Amino acid sequence: MLLRLDKVAKFYGRKIIFKGVSLELEAGRILLLCGANGAGKSTLLKIMAGLIRPDAGRAAHTLTTNGRLGYMGHQTFIYPAMNALENLRFWAGMHGLEYRASDLAALLQRVNLLPFAAEKAGAFSRGMAQRLNLARILLLEPELLLLDEPATGMDAPSRAMLEAEIIAAAARGAGIVWISHSLEADLPRAHQAALLEGGRLAFLGSATDYARLLTGAGA
Amino acid sequence: MQRRVSYIYAAPVPALLGGLLMAASQLMIVLVAPVEERMGLIQKIFYLHLPLAWWGLFSFFMVFVCSLLYLLRRDFFWDALSEAAAACGLLLAVLALATGSIWARISWNTWWTWDPRLTTTLVLCFIYAGFLLIRRMDMTPERRGGVSAALGIIAFLDVPLVFFSARLWPQTIHPQVVTQGQGGGLDPSMRLTLICCLISFGFLWAALLTLRFRLGRLEEVLNARLLVQEPETAGNHPQNNEEKNNG
Amino acid sequence: MIRAALLMARKDLLLLCARGAGLAQALLLGLLLLFIFSLARGIAEEFSAQAASAVFWMATLFCQVLIFNALYALEEDNGQRQALLMLPVPEQSIWAGKGLAGMVILLAAQGVFIPATVVFLDQDIQGGLLGGLRLILTADLGLAAAGSLLGALAQGRAARESLLSVIIFPLLLPLLLAAIRLGAEAISGAGLEEAENWFRLLLVFDGLFLAAGLALFGFIYNAQE
Repeated sequence: MLLRLDKVAKFYGRKIIFKGVSLELEAGRILLLCGANGAGKSTLLKIMAGLIRPDAGRAAHTLTTNGRLGYMGHQTFIYPAMNALENLRFWAGMHGLEYRASDLAALLQRVNLLPFAAEKAGAFSRGMAQRLNLARILLLEPELLLLDEPATGMDAPSRAMLEAEIIAAAARGAGIVWISHSLEADLPRAHQAALLEGGRLAFLGSATDYARLLTGAGA
Repeated sequence: MQRRVSYIYAAPVPALLGGLLMAASQLMIVLVAPVEERMGLIQKIFYLHLPLAWWGLFSFFMVFVCSLLYLLRRDFFWDALSEAAAACGLLLAVLALATGSIWARISWNTWWTWDPRLTTTLVLCFIYAGFLLIRRMDMTPERRGGVSAALGIIAFLDVPLVFFSARLWPQTIHPQVVTQGQGGGLDPSMRLTLICCLISFGFLWAALLTLRFRLGRLEEVLNARLLVQEPETAGNHPQNNEEKNNG
Repeated sequence: MIRAALLMARKDLLLLCARGAGLAQALLLGLLLLFIFSLARGIAEEFSAQAASAVFWMATLFCQVLIFNALYALEEDNGQRQALLMLPVPEQSIWAGKGLAGMVILLAAQGVFIPATVVFLDQDIQGGLLGGLRLILTADLGLAAAGSLLGALAQGRAARESLLSVIIFPLLLPLLLAAIRLGAEAISGAGLEEAENWFRLLLVFDGLFLAAGLALFGFIYNAQE
């Protein structure tokens, strides 16, 4: 088991955001996390990432190597005053990873940013910054990927590249929790689905069951 | 986390007792305590000054203890209590400085002098005023709790250093000033009056603290209610959240 | 942890120097303070060594607040703070890295303030170089430890510089008093009877804030908004 949440609850002061959230994720599986705006998806993802602590319950992941956790949040984590390559080099260094310049260039090529390697990241569009963010995560060869609407600002080719990377990561054995704003398009790629609604986990099961539920409700 | 706010009955008891005792101790200050020979009538301000200073300092110590307990337990109860203690401590310490200043003006002909105790009290006022300001910043309750608990601990550990540095600082006027008032040979009737004042101020302090504490807890509840209307964190089931708030 | 802290310090120094604005603001404010206080001297009056030392350390203190505010603001453009907090190193390395970077900049700023003190406040430095160096290093260590810890309050741009100084100045009072006294000694060259006591106080202060930084940094700097 890669990731396990056990009766996790989160409050904002005295207000409940959600409670009693339990789920498990195995290596190589993609879990699509659904819910309306403000249901607490992002908060739940931050708890999974260990960024904030749950007010009740337990959240634990079992990574073989510490730090192999890739989290893409609402923000791009990019230093605007550094260029794309310097950004990657800094994060690699902070993670204690040794990378040659050619490795970093190949990584930038993977996210189609190589022509902009020497440009200040502050001049990047949202989609480009998000791609650089993706490169920063791929750098870690993550075992667990936590993606909070990763396609934000990306154009169609970039989105296709992102989805290919997600599927490839799962094929390599990474566990993935994915919050997506284009549910119909991404549901077929997921193995599991979870719906956060009304302060609790309203659905947890296979992605195909959830798709059936959605079409059933729509009909 | 979900404790109810039912401290409404807590405040009147110490308030009532404090009021009665305060009246009694005022009478004692006027009728029982003798007029001090050297300093004259102004010395009677001492019966207000000392309890204010002591309870003020005790409040600040309480901030430290509550901060530690908050970090250990992560219960907003301690967070709210530390805020209440800081607010009460600040009020009493400022009043202690004011009464001390009036006393100093009359008996030593100066409003202010560089004395370790005076300086430390003043710096404490600054520190805890800053503490209360930081708490008014725009933060999540959780972060506010952590930040102010950390500050509460740092502030208290810093106090001895402030005191020693103020004592090392070259003093030009009136070294040993404050000890004159409370030196060994206190008249028994003076001591009785002082003790009575200390106790009555203790009840007053407890009443203020409970009121301020309750205010903080009510604010928490109110903030939770207000949040329901906010789209970012509230979700689309306000009635559901409302229901859980009461639980 | 040490490796990460050094990398962090290096990145911060490069970014602050590249951006320039925050650094220049801190330096200018310190210099302005030194200049304005030189007006406090009446015509044909001497500025005492103690007064000059006090003004010098005031300039350093204001500079310190601006520096650490700028250092922590670097992590707020695109939420880099969250990524830093997910690193496989203890969060104290952020505190140590920023403290180190801040101390380097502070020392550089003092390199400007010392000649400015001599010029604007008309001082003639008579004290030994070694004593002065010892004072500046011990005092700056405390300033960096405390500044890096409390500068983290600026997380999420919640605390502005003005609010930060309101919190930080009263807490720094012991350090300030010791630095002013020892600084006066370093300027005038006159021996100070309690010099060793003042130094001990500085060291205790350094120890307190180093310990507080290690123990409490995580409560001040975290992923909360």
